[in-house]
Amino acid sequence: MKNQNVKGLLLAGVAIVIASDSAIAQDYGSYKGVNIEAKLIGGQQYEALYGRISDWEAATGATVNIISKKSHFEIDKEIKSDMAAGTTNWCVGSNHSSFAPQYEGLYVDLNDHVSADDIEGFVPGNITASTVDGALLMLPRAQFDVSVLYYLKSNYTDEDKAAEFKAEYGYDLAVPETWTQVKDQAIFFADPPNFYGTQYAGKDEAIVGRFYEMVVAEGGNYLDENKKPVFNSEAGQRALQWFVDLYEAGAVPAGTTSYVWDDLGQGFASGTVALNLDWPGWAGFFNDPESSKAAGNVGVAIQPMGSATRTGWSGHHGFSVTSDCENKDAAVSLVQFLTSEESQLAESSGGSLPTRSAVWTANVQTAADGDDPFRAEALAAFAAGAEYAFAVPPIPEWGETTNIVFPELQAAILGDKSVKEALDDAAAEVDELMQDAGYY
Amino acid sequence: MFRRRLPEWFVLLLPAIIVMAAVVLIPLLFSLYSSFTAYRLTRPSSLWRWIGTANYERILTDAKFWAAFGRTVLFLTIVLNLELILGLGIALLVNKVTWGQRTLRTVLMFPMMFSPILVGFQFKFIFNDNIGLVNNVLQSTGISDAALPWLVDGKLAMFSIMFAEIWMSTSVFAILILAGLFAMPRDPLEAAKVDGCTSWQTFRHITLPFLMPFIFIAMTIRSLDVARAYDIVQIMTGGGPARRTELIWTLMSRTGYVDARMGLANAMGYVSILLSILFTIYFFHKLSAARAQLGTGG
Repeated sequence: MKNQNVKGLLLAGVAIVIASDSAIAQDYGSYKGVNIEAKLIGGQQYEALYGRISDWEAATGATVNIISKKSHFEIDKEIKSDMAAGTTNWCVGSNHSSFAPQYEGLYVDLNDHVSADDIEGFVPGNITASTVDGALLMLPRAQFDVSVLYYLKSNYTDEDKAAEFKAEYGYDLAVPETWTQVKDQAIFFADPPNFYGTQYAGKDEAIVGRFYEMVVAEGGNYLDENKKPVFNSEAGQRALQWFVDLYEAGAVPAGTTSYVWDDLGQGFASGTVALNLDWPGWAGFFNDPESSKAAGNVGVAIQPMGSATRTGWSGHHGFSVTSDCENKDAAVSLVQFLTSEESQLAESSGGSLPTRSAVWTANVQTAADGDDPFRAEALAAFAAGAEYAFAVPPIPEWGETTNIVFPELQAAILGDKSVKEALDDAAAEVDELMQDAGYY
Repeated sequence: MFRRRLPEWFVLLLPAIIVMAAVVLIPLLFSLYSSFTAYRLTRPSSLWRWIGTANYERILTDAKFWAAFGRTVLFLTIVLNLELILGLGIALLVNKVTWGQRTLRTVLMFPMMFSPILVGFQFKFIFNDNIGLVNNVLQSTGISDAALPWLVDGKLAMFSIMFAEIWMSTSVFAILILAGLFAMPRDPLEAAKVDGCTSWQTFRHITLPFLMPFIFIAMTIRSLDVARAYDIVQIMTGGGPARRTELIWTLMSRTGYVDARMGLANAMGYVSILLSILFTIYFFHKLSAARAQLGTGG
């Protein structure tokens, strides 16, 4: 009897294990003995998701070997070297909407491997930005980036300051709705070298991205439909003039032309910058007393408008499957798992923005119901800001154009060239690049 | 049956020849070949697209490349000369020290022990316009109330990079010159003293000629190092802003690895090698002359 009971329990246990195994396996398949090699973007904010990989391994019987984990810029160089050396038989790679068009032929078209129903669950704009020449090169993960305006709330509660501003500029001092208002207020608030009105990324792709979104907000564009540069239009000149005016007025730190994201984040967290257009990943950092002097004084609002629309340069991370991968089905399964609703809910609980519509809705609801008004305010601003999001032109030459354009933007900002001269010079060189690339 | 045997010297050298060919010769030939192609890292097939001298023609007419080339020569000249003057001064002072000289010599070598990347980060922080040490000192002592843009202004940025480079490597000169001072015979110095020479005359006509071979060896080694300056510049300014601190290697690495135009970058590499060769020939020529003057070689 005793033995029978034990046997019965064991059998029941095995049945539960098999049942639970098959329940998960139905979703992600069974790939016993398969080993998937992956090259992933590394960094603290990305690690939580990788912790879930063991669940996928348990469910499918496959194993994942992370053969490289580096920053995106480093992994980009490594992937290019792999392409040159022909060593691209690893299976899953981290990707980014700004980088994806460069890797011609490296990754499979996921439209052929993932059902249309599955793809529908993602935000349509993110799927468009993941698609190059009709091929869906990656499935987006919960690392969507669009910038909104962070500001120090105390600047808007001082009545004397408000009166002084109104007397000088003729309108009420309030959180800026337009980029012209940002400029006015930045110049008004600035008291260098102790306090600055605003700041901007000043080199590499970062400043070109900021300029690009400002050109769009002014009603222009970076390239026309034939990929010919048109950023030296009047809209482009107005956009660049905004950066130049702020620099000349001393409203931004003198070293802003050498700043990129970390410098800007640390700058705003030091409490010495009034207005800061920045990414979602900083929200928690800015309002954490451990890391930020501005904590408790940070407001978050939708990004301001240019003369035509709001800015909204955006990008997102994703996962791709290489064409040379031996077990594409298993690799696709892993990518689907890493970008699933469940994974996105888990990853975005850390503060990043999702790329699935259902997860957006769930997160906004949870924040509204919760007891953290700052998180709710930030998420609402990002949800509103995401409506205006647009990606960079999906061409392999995007990165190369930014290397041509950014020194010219810097030259105008520092006064080495006039705005028109700098943009015309950059456009002439980008034009040559596009002709070399065979676009026209 | 007659079996031809390879000469013994050749057999003994063969492992070294194979290793050298694998790690130096073949990559050199490969990069030389690729400089005549439209090779892009992201399009491996472009390695076989022969475009003749198009990359070289492009470089020769590219004002930005020549600006970076000229800036590199200027950087090299100023840094080498200042390192020489400071290194010579330090070596002469340390040579006079009679107590704790060994400790001083060790301390002298500290900057050489740091990785150039760390030195770059250190000086990037020191010269930061907003939170940097230098501006902080200038502002708190009342010398300046402005935030000096050390890494932005063209002249200040070059100065900052040179400062970092000189801080890190002056001790190379100091150590080599000190070795020269230790090896120097005492007799001519004592004879000069007996003959009534002033300190300056002794230094100018006895010490300095004796040190010249050591100085030129240091110059040769450092000229190759400085001509390859990359780490510190890349970390501190990235060649910017507005190309104000762009040197050959920052330009080349961006072209090769970020823009993926490896063919063009390799062509730049071969043109810039000329610079290193010219400096090396010049210093070896001077070294031979200095040794001939001392009667220690031709």
